[in-house]
Amino acid sequence: MVGLSEGEKEFIKGGIAQDLRSDGRKRYTYRPIYVETGVIPQANGSARVRMGSTDVIASVKAELGRPSAMQPDKGKVAIFVDCSPTAEPTFEGRGGEELSAELSSALQRCLLGGKSGAGAGIDLSSLVVVEGKVCWDLYIDGLVISSDGNLLDALGAAIKAALSNTGIPSVHVAAEAASDEQPEVDISDEEFLQFDTSGVPVITTLTKVGKHYIVDATLEEESQMSSAVSISINRQGHICGMIKRGGVGLDPSVILDMISVANFVSRQLMDKLDSEIAAAEADEEES
Amino acid sequence: MGLPNASEDLSSEMEVDAFRRLFPLRYFERHLAESIRPDARSLSRARNTTISMGAVASADGSALAKIGSTTMLAAIKMEVMTPSLESPDEGCVSIDFHMPPICSPLVRPGRPAEAAPVVAKQLSDTISSSGMINLKELSLVGGKAAWMVYLDIYCLDADGALFDAALLSAVAAFSNLQIPTVSLDDGKIVMLPEEQKEENSEKEPVNKEKRKLTLGGIPFSLTCILHKNYILADPTSEEESIMETLVTVVLDSSNQLVSLYKPGGAVLAYTSAVQDCIALTRQRVKELHQILEEAISGMEID
Amino acid sequence: MAAKPSTTTTAKATYSPIDPTRKTRPPIFSGSDVDWLRPDSRGFHQCRPAFFRTGAVNSASGSAYAEFGNTKVIVSVFGPRESKKAMMYSNIGRLNCNVSYTTFATPIRGQGSDHKDFSSMLHKALEGAIILETFPKTTVDVFALVLESGGSDLPVVISCASVALADAGIMMYDLVASVSVSCLGKNLLIDPVLEEESYQDGSLMIACMPSRYEVTQLTVTGEWSTPHFNEAMQLCLDASAKLGKIMRSCLKEAASDEQE
Repeated sequence: MVGLSEGEKEFIKGGIAQDLRSDGRKRYTYRPIYVETGVIPQANGSARVRMGSTDVIASVKAELGRPSAMQPDKGKVAIFVDCSPTAEPTFEGRGGEELSAELSSALQRCLLGGKSGAGAGIDLSSLVVVEGKVCWDLYIDGLVISSDGNLLDALGAAIKAALSNTGIPSVHVAAEAASDEQPEVDISDEEFLQFDTSGVPVITTLTKVGKHYIVDATLEEESQMSSAVSISINRQGHICGMIKRGGVGLDPSVILDMISVANFVSRQLMDKLDSEIAAAEADEEES
Repeated sequence: MGLPNASEDLSSEMEVDAFRRLFPLRYFERHLAESIRPDARSLSRARNTTISMGAVASADGSALAKIGSTTMLAAIKMEVMTPSLESPDEGCVSIDFHMPPICSPLVRPGRPAEAAPVVAKQLSDTISSSGMINLKELSLVGGKAAWMVYLDIYCLDADGALFDAALLSAVAAFSNLQIPTVSLDDGKIVMLPEEQKEENSEKEPVNKEKRKLTLGGIPFSLTCILHKNYILADPTSEEESIMETLVTVVLDSSNQLVSLYKPGGAVLAYTSAVQDCIALTRQRVKELHQILEEAISGMEID
Repeated sequence: MAAKPSTTTTAKATYSPIDPTRKTRPPIFSGSDVDWLRPDSRGFHQCRPAFFRTGAVNSASGSAYAEFGNTKVIVSVFGPRESKKAMMYSNIGRLNCNVSYTTFATPIRGQGSDHKDFSSMLHKALEGAIILETFPKTTVDVFALVLESGGSDLPVVISCASVALADAGIMMYDLVASVSVSCLGKNLLIDPVLEEESYQDGSLMIACMPSRYEVTQLTVTGEWSTPHFNEAMQLCLDASAKLGKIMRSCLKEAASDEQE
């Protein structure tokens, strides 16, 4: 909980109305984004993203599993988020659990596409090794280390960075086994396949304060929101997922307007993120 | 609803509803002295009881039982299991009783109701000891496959006499049960698709005849409250909360005693009181039997 | 884990004889195939008949039962009642929501537990409509039980919950009506059933207050182009306006019955 006096609340709201926020940003400006990749050596891929005092880590772990009976030609992806109790006093006990569950389901909604797998940011059919028998299961874990608002966008960015950092060992299938047995596989230690992450959408949360909406709200600004909408948009400008995060009702025309704003903002965010990720990868290779 | 001629003490100066809330015991005792209950029943009378069969389409057998406003929904799902080594030609019945938070203001999510495990235990004891179900009928392939019967009972509205309503819905669900036709495919039991049932192209159903269970002695129950010298049949939740000594008698259709519960309480029961309870139950069993028969025949007409 | 061969199953492990991979009809129809019938032979833009009844649970302050085809839901509302001791003082009321499934709600037993986020989704859909200022320091509990899952479960729960809140006399700006569409290929299917939901490429769910024309909850999955999205949203908004009328008439009927 943010304890704010009436004066401080007015200051925040007034600043947003005048397009000059308390930290000097404009309404549609992000805080500087820092990306670091390969922070967890044990994982197949990992990244740390910082936006102001918001600090999150995402890691990707790949394991061999069986495809589900419903979709034998697709791998499986699971996303879990954990909120460290040290990130914020309210995360202790059940408060953190609820937020974790909310963030996990929002990320699944925004990144994994529909039930049939269409529209997913990650091409699930690329995860299959032997159809109906062996596939890669991706476990994506997010960890919130420090929270200063806009967690969902930061986690989305961290997952995108972690995925582009992910190398999946190439697998050689030994002699074709009988139809009802699991084939033997040989996991290579040297050859790795890179992911194509160009299709992974970015998540933009627009927080409505008063009549205006802002991107990348800080915790103080979030406490003054009337409602917020998180929209995930890919390179083509298509909506890949959306969730309204509580608050008061919105007129449908406002939502459509928010989508067009998100479309504009997300393009900038995506370019910025891509260059940050490239720089981080280069850094990692040097060291 | 209340008493018209309340002459002495506070009750003359108070509204009936306020008196009921402040002095619930006195309020009830006044009624009992006149051999009537606040809902206009006589002491030995059970509430209006209805059963509707086949309430859940996704289940293999189901029933909704209502006693007054106490509502129970029971549904059966059949799954296949490998029978244990000790009893290779027997299936298994698993009974669960749930009190979801919707049923009563006392139940909160995450904190299961105290009454639920007690009723669940009584139910599975009663059903297994009554011999209503012959577990041998649940065998599919001796030693290889047998039915696992999952009976889940949900309390949708809790207003007293939970066990009676739960048992009634369970019994009704069993008489509504239609066992799916299955065939053996690659060492695995698979359900026959609808369209294949008649022509029987390549797969032979394992259980062609056994589509219904033959139910043995069907148990019925009645819960009574003992308070001073009074015996109140089929209590509401308000009555249960005020007067705490309960006696539940379970008889089967040929009036044999299946089980009898008197879980403590303030009133020590004389054997004569228990006998009175059994006599009340005997009457009730006749009633319930008829209600069940009507519900079953109602299904067949449809 | 329904597909284990019997040799490896332990004594207690059981499986349903229903084969999850067997499809009763061709799973996906291509964009040009307009003759494809929905499992319950509805039109693409036709909702299932909706049925609401208030007062399903006597021990609750308010309750409602909703039935849309095979989807059957009961919602009970308790309160306003004392907040939990651990809660801090609040000058507005609290809303507490919980959604659970019966074990027999889904075709294969016990699969209803993968809807953990429904409780928070229900909360978000309702909080914008309830006038929380009218019951300070106290909590209103909204508990939903899905008796049978037949598709579009969450929208039915949301609509049913708002009828139950009205039945309990909780002050609201407006009823909340909720509708979802599934996107299959190029087609939009309103009010999808379970089977359609399992093949969908994308889905859009809207909860809105029809008289105020405001959206309280909106979720989208799958990939949508902007025009396609607009079309789906308009479809949902129109349908929820109609649903709102049905909900309203149910409440009116209940109120006039009481007066008689």
